[in-house]
Amino acid sequence: MASPALLNSLIALTFIAAALLAIVPVPEWALYYRPEWVALVLVFWVINHPERVGIGVAWLMGILLDALTGSLFGLHALGLALVAYLTLRLRLRLRLYAVFQQASVLLVIIGLQLLLLQWLQILFDLPRGASMIFLAPAVSSALLWPFAWMLLGGLVRSLDINR
Amino acid sequence: MLLSALLMIADQRFGYMEHARQALGLIAAPFHWLADTPARIGSSFSDIFVNRADLIEENAKLREELLLSRQRLLLAESLSVENNRLLALQNAVDMLEQEVLPAEIINVSPDPYSRRILINKGGNHGVLEGQAVLEANGLMGQVVQVMPFSSWVLLISDASHVTPVEVSRNGERALARGGQNSGTDLELEFVVPNQDIQVGDSLISSGMGLVYPKNYPVAEVVSVTHSPGQPYATIRARPKAQFSSTRHVMLVLDATGPDYAAAEEDAGGGDGESGLASVNSAN
Repeated sequence: MASPALLNSLIALTFIAAALLAIVPVPEWALYYRPEWVALVLVFWVINHPERVGIGVAWLMGILLDALTGSLFGLHALGLALVAYLTLRLRLRLRLYAVFQQASVLLVIIGLQLLLLQWLQILFDLPRGASMIFLAPAVSSALLWPFAWMLLGGLVRSLDINR
Repeated sequence: MLLSALLMIADQRFGYMEHARQALGLIAAPFHWLADTPARIGSSFSDIFVNRADLIEENAKLREELLLSRQRLLLAESLSVENNRLLALQNAVDMLEQEVLPAEIINVSPDPYSRRILINKGGNHGVLEGQAVLEANGLMGQVVQVMPFSSWVLLISDASHVTPVEVSRNGERALARGGQNSGTDLELEFVVPNQDIQVGDSLISSGMGLVYPKNYPVAEVVSVTHSPGQPYATIRARPKAQFSSTRHVMLVLDATGPDYAAAEEDAGGGDGESGLASVNSAN
């Protein structure tokens, strides 16, 4: 195991990087396919270190994301809390899956999160798209999952070796 | 946990969250600064690696433009004097000189369905909710959320935003709503077939609603469709403002009429005063 302080700072760093990626300006067409970076990082940490990252952290990250994007307060908080909850429930199974199987489960989890956000947006009469393209980030996130898994896993392992 | 999240949403709905939002805006500021870094580095690089010939050329071009705009300004001044005199004759309120605050766009909303931009001026600079934001070519939008060092601006092309406009050719009035799913185009609402609006007409702000200054260019009509079964015509207009290619915008601190100033004092309280000292005047 990496030392707790080191691991905590790695967790914080990855979350900050994900939050940055979530707000970096991208071209108009790419907006619809922007992966849910924070959700990806969140799922990784919940699978690997549920004792450190749980629903509470997810909720706080969601509030940060709400502040960053200027969206309705609690919107992303609720969405990410749902992601964390679902991942926690499926954690033991997800650990055994191959990375591509994990990606397909992730597709469903993030899809559910987006569906929840969409419902909330309809509930609060916020601007939203009319088509099913609001689910596109789930697909791009799932496609990115193997790379995220390898990258984050590699980071954790390199910390273990360097200690 | 879910319950507390729901509570937050309810809070937001009734507007109890302003203070928390202000505090979180402070936390958000460094994130936005970091996210903006690539763009800033990019522009500073292009400042460094620009050659002499380009500079000379650009300088000449700018000089020429300055000359042209100066000449136009002179013309406009004489026209505005004349206009004010005519308005005075009609017992109307005369136009106030508008004070503007230059600002820079530092981020755009990551949500593809809401068209908003983040500017680098906030409550500490005297920005208030509801202030109009202009660009060199046309109307941009209005401030909807003020944080200490930045604020969110709702663009006129957002689907939930309606701009009161009039046709500059004949003064026909209309409401321009941001396109529901048509990119940055605006749609004119509730235009009956006998209203005279044609392709190529330029739309200017009518000043109704007291948010935007009067007579500022908003959009140009690009298509007019009358379908026999529909009570209203379908009219699309392309905004004059360059939403995606500009970085510099102007905040209007003063609006056109005394009504507006009074309304804003009621809404904003006294916290705008400190920022007004650092304001550059428009003229």
